[in-house]
Amino acid sequence: MNNALLNQVVEAFPDAVAVFDTDLRFVSCNRVFAADHIRYLGTEMKPGDSMYKLCEACCPELLQQSLYNWERAIAGERLTFAVAVGEPPVHFQISLSPLFNEQQVQEAVIMVCRNIQPELDARENERFFRSVLENLPVGLQQFSPDGWSRDINEMQRQILGETHPAVNNLPYNVHEDPINRRSGLNELLGEVVRRKAPVKKEMLLKYKEEKEEGQDVTRLVPLYYEGTGFPVMGMNGEIAYLFLILSEITEKKLAQISLEKSERLLYNIVENLPVGYIQFDNFGFIHRVNQTQRRFFAHSGLEEQPEAYNMISDPFARLFDMEELFMQVLQKGKMMRAEKKLEFEMDIAGGKMNREVFLDVTMFPVEDPVDKDQIVVALVNDITEKKRQELENAKAQEFLLQTGETGKIGGWEYDMTTGLLRWSAQTYKIHELPPFATITLEKALSFYTHESRKKVSQAVNACIERGKAFDLPVSLNTARNNLLQVRAIGKPEYRNGRIVRLYGVIQDVTEQFKIRDQLTRNTELMRLFFDTIDMGYAVMDKDGKVNFINRKAQEIVDHGKVIGKNIFEVFPMLEGSTFHARVRQCMQLQAPVSFSYYLPAPDKWYEFLLAPMQDGNISIFTRNITDSKKMQRELRKANDQLSSLNKYLVNQNKQLEDFAHITSHNLRAPIANLKALMQIMNETDSEEEKELYNSMFQEVIRNIDETLNDLIEIVQIRKDLNVERERLSFEERLQKVKDILFVDIETSGIEVITDFGEAPDIVYPRIYLDSLLQNLLTNAIKYRRPGIRPSMRFRSRLEDGAVVLTAEDNGIGIDMERYGAKLFGFRKTFHKNKDAKGIGLYITKSQIEAMGGSIQAESHIGTGTKFIITFSPE
Amino acid sequence: MKPLHSIFIVDDDPIHQQITQIMLDRLSISNDVTKFSDAQDVLEHLRTHTNDAAALPDVILLDLNMPIMDGWEFLEAFSLLRPQLCKDIKVYVLTSSIDDTDKERVNKFDFVAGYLTKPLTNDVIMKLGR
Repeated sequence: MNNALLNQVVEAFPDAVAVFDTDLRFVSCNRVFAADHIRYLGTEMKPGDSMYKLCEACCPELLQQSLYNWERAIAGERLTFAVAVGEPPVHFQISLSPLFNEQQVQEAVIMVCRNIQPELDARENERFFRSVLENLPVGLQQFSPDGWSRDINEMQRQILGETHPAVNNLPYNVHEDPINRRSGLNELLGEVVRRKAPVKKEMLLKYKEEKEEGQDVTRLVPLYYEGTGFPVMGMNGEIAYLFLILSEITEKKLAQISLEKSERLLYNIVENLPVGYIQFDNFGFIHRVNQTQRRFFAHSGLEEQPEAYNMISDPFARLFDMEELFMQVLQKGKMMRAEKKLEFEMDIAGGKMNREVFLDVTMFPVEDPVDKDQIVVALVNDITEKKRQELENAKAQEFLLQTGETGKIGGWEYDMTTGLLRWSAQTYKIHELPPFATITLEKALSFYTHESRKKVSQAVNACIERGKAFDLPVSLNTARNNLLQVRAIGKPEYRNGRIVRLYGVIQDVTEQFKIRDQLTRNTELMRLFFDTIDMGYAVMDKDGKVNFINRKAQEIVDHGKVIGKNIFEVFPMLEGSTFHARVRQCMQLQAPVSFSYYLPAPDKWYEFLLAPMQDGNISIFTRNITDSKKMQRELRKANDQLSSLNKYLVNQNKQLEDFAHITSHNLRAPIANLKALMQIMNETDSEEEKELYNSMFQEVIRNIDETLNDLIEIVQIRKDLNVERERLSFEERLQKVKDILFVDIETSGIEVITDFGEAPDIVYPRIYLDSLLQNLLTNAIKYRRPGIRPSMRFRSRLEDGAVVLTAEDNGIGIDMERYGAKLFGFRKTFHKNKDAKGIGLYITKSQIEAMGGSIQAESHIGTGTKFIITFSPE
Repeated sequence: MKPLHSIFIVDDDPIHQQITQIMLDRLSISNDVTKFSDAQDVLEHLRTHTNDAAALPDVILLDLNMPIMDGWEFLEAFSLLRPQLCKDIKVYVLTSSIDDTDKERVNKFDFVAGYLTKPLTNDVIMKLGR
């Protein structure tokens, strides 16, 4: 065996190496082995030493095992095993390999001892950390920089849930799961990558189903997590891994939310307190003001800058010692309360007004729960109204006292148990005794006059025995012997069912008595006065009770005793009458009301004047105006007649004017012609001309004759105002007219249609009705439209009790706009018709109007004309 | 005296037309008298000859009371037509009415040369010539 070569090889091993022969004798070792041997065993092995020595030196407990393994190696086996040496144990991995010579005969064994302790330690560490991480109470997940899930711990598995791909070792990329975008996880990891630094964030990651106990309700409860992401950097400064830590903070979060909620609630409560709330810091700066206080500031005009407002330095606050109060609260740490009166000027609609405000200020210190600062809260209550009420009350009390003085009312009380009588100052005054002189019941009674004393004694006894209250008008003689009329009032006071006290007042009513006397006398005078006037006078209250009635009124009502009774009960027919309404009106308006009222039973008219009185009663003045009323009615009747006469006269006058007009126009024209003819005839000598003029004379005279005849006919109509009337049938009269006009009707072929059903007859002068019908029918024939069959439709009907006759033709019509005003005029014609003389309609109208009726026309050219005749009601 | 050339007599009374014409002829006032019974016809004549001075009259004697179109309506219509006429026509109202209200009403038409009442006299006719 080449020992030199072996030694070199052995020496080259980094581990400790030793060689021993088949007889278990140490051959050689390398330097590492020697060093280790010395370090761990304290001995040095020399060549030829038995291997037992090695075992003995280091670990006798390993001898058996070592011997066994050595023997196996000597037998030609290659093996490796581990041993632990020393305390604390150091682990070595021992490898044994047989060494052969050139003849393949085993000569020795090489033993390589490798210290595996650091390796073991490292492995142990890793396992430990892994188990720690695995069992951490927070979720932990490892990602590749691009988001692929790499590893995950138990908590994280629970958080993600057993169905999550990452939990089931399936490929899962955190960036590709949309849910993470919502939860903010993506953003978190993204930021970690960007900043290469840890990032922390609160997230609502999921909801938990929670079953309500005993109820069939499942609630979804939000689960909040705090997510922390951090990068693990690689050797080259790139991100090697991303870690995500999730820790559940739901409870913390919910607590925080509920805190916020209650804070908000508190804020709202404070904000809406009906009491002013100001929160100061310990330097006197305002931190918070609620709306009541803001309103108050606004009212007082102090709102300029409430934030910058500092109470300690504010001159206004100093003026009212607010800052002193504040300092006291701060220093003594006690609640303080004070009423303050503030007066200031305020702007009101351009003007200044002094305002007075009472404030109830309560200040107390509070420690800020967060930063432990001392703060001061001021509650400000505007008690101006209350204060004013108090002042009012004080005033009222004062007033009451004064009333006692002026009303001359004194008080008294009698104690049943002690038998003591006490008087108030005013009572002494009434009795004209020096105040607070001793007084007894007997002495008090002695002031009353003989008769009054009896009454008072009885009343007092009755009150004591039976608890009967009293109110007596009595007389007493004062200490100075003045006779007074007083009103003595007493009442019992019970305690435990027993009368313990009598008390009451005594009022000096002497003056009232005098006044009442005077009043009674005045009333009597008034009665006398009212009885003598020739006018009914009564006073009644608002309900109708008669308080006073004078003789005249008594006569008018003519009904036993009325006074003291209700007028509406005595005379039920007045209930709801005009009288009643007027009474109410008078009460309501508080103003005098006058009206006339008719009493049907005696057939009399009365004029009433109702006047409200200050005491709520009503004075009633009444007067019989039957005569004047009747006269008035007569007068009105006469007036009516006069006015109808007047109307008649006006009508006559108009007709006369018409007549004058007719005369001036229609008679003058032919006369003028005559005059002219006379002139030209006189100026000529020619017989021939004279012959011509003669014929013209005849023509003119014939003309005059005709006109005169027309006029006579008209005058006749006007004269015949009282022409005889009779009941006439329209149908019958029309038939008569048709007979007269037989030829015209036949030649024109006019169709006459009638409808007299509604009003078949009328009381009317026969010749007028005939003339009317004839004129209408003649016109229809005369002014018929060429080319169509003429027709005329007569119809009679009743309208407001009057007979109305309409006559409608289908003739050529009249231009109403142009001729409407002249349609019924004398000698007015509107057609180039030789027969038109302009007299028919004039006569028709005259006749109708003479009988009190009227005629109108409606017409359209080319359509026809409709005449409407309204006869005067019968 | 210069004779009037053309006179229109507007009157529905044929006797009056005749008498007036005789009187005008006698006094040689005119050698051209035209008689109209209907004012409407006069108006139409004037309308068709607004620019024909020879066809227009120098004087119109107008009656007031006439059927169809009366003197008043004619005056209203004429007052509108007058500015278009190439000749100044003298209009005289010649009526039997001595009613003052008629006279006042005529005065409202300031172009009317005179209010004459029937019957015409020679004196009045002579004045027309001036």
